[in-house]
Amino acid sequence: MGDFQAKPFTAKGGIAMKNNIRVERAIKNITQGELADLVSVSRQTINTIESNKYVPSTVLALKIARVFGKPLEEVFVLEEGD
Amino acid sequence: MKSRFLFPFWFRYLGTALFLVHVPFVFFKRPPDPVDAQHIADNTLFNNGHLFFMATTLLMAVGLFFIAFAKEKIEDEQISQLRLDSLQWAIYLNYFLLIIGLILTTDTEHILFLNLMVPLFFFIVRFRWVIFKLNHSLPKEG
Repeated sequence: MGDFQAKPFTAKGGIAMKNNIRVERAIKNITQGELADLVSVSRQTINTIESNKYVPSTVLALKIARVFGKPLEEVFVLEEGD
Repeated sequence: MKSRFLFPFWFRYLGTALFLVHVPFVFFKRPPDPVDAQHIADNTLFNNGHLFFMATTLLMAVGLFFIAFAKEKIEDEQISQLRLDSLQWAIYLNYFLLIIGLILTTDTEHILFLNLMVPLFFFIVRFRWVIFKLNHSLPKEG
């Protein structure tokens, strides 16, 4: 049962999703908990998204991007996997 | 995020209570003496043995059911993902054990009982365990 939910979200061809939430949070100077409250999820969810263990739904991703006032692609990026 | 078909959070405590209530029944109160020849022949519905079995099993099953399907404090999309994931594992394990049981024994009554327990029980354990790990990996925040 290993490391949870790391694999199913790596699409075929080894493309993975990265995000700049940690950086954006630092710019806006808010904690994980505050961001979690703003988009009404738990802090665990924000934490696992930041560490790329969980890929948020489109709705949640859009909400997060709205909090930072940036387009989606500036917060979440597709990246060639290792 | 809307989650349908889940009980309110406090059902977890209700479920635990029901489950705990059933434990002393099973341990301290034996079902009516089956050695009695009359009871063996007595296969009607709602005889003593059946009532006892029904009461204890229902308490346990309903208790576990409430624990398993009560909402979390913050029920977000990741939690429902974990819920489904754990449910899948529980069903896999259940059918694995069921198949092993069917091959290796002819004791169908206990297989049925196992079948009743395993999915809920394993689901709860696995779900709690993943949430525990998740909380454990959470860094402290100032």
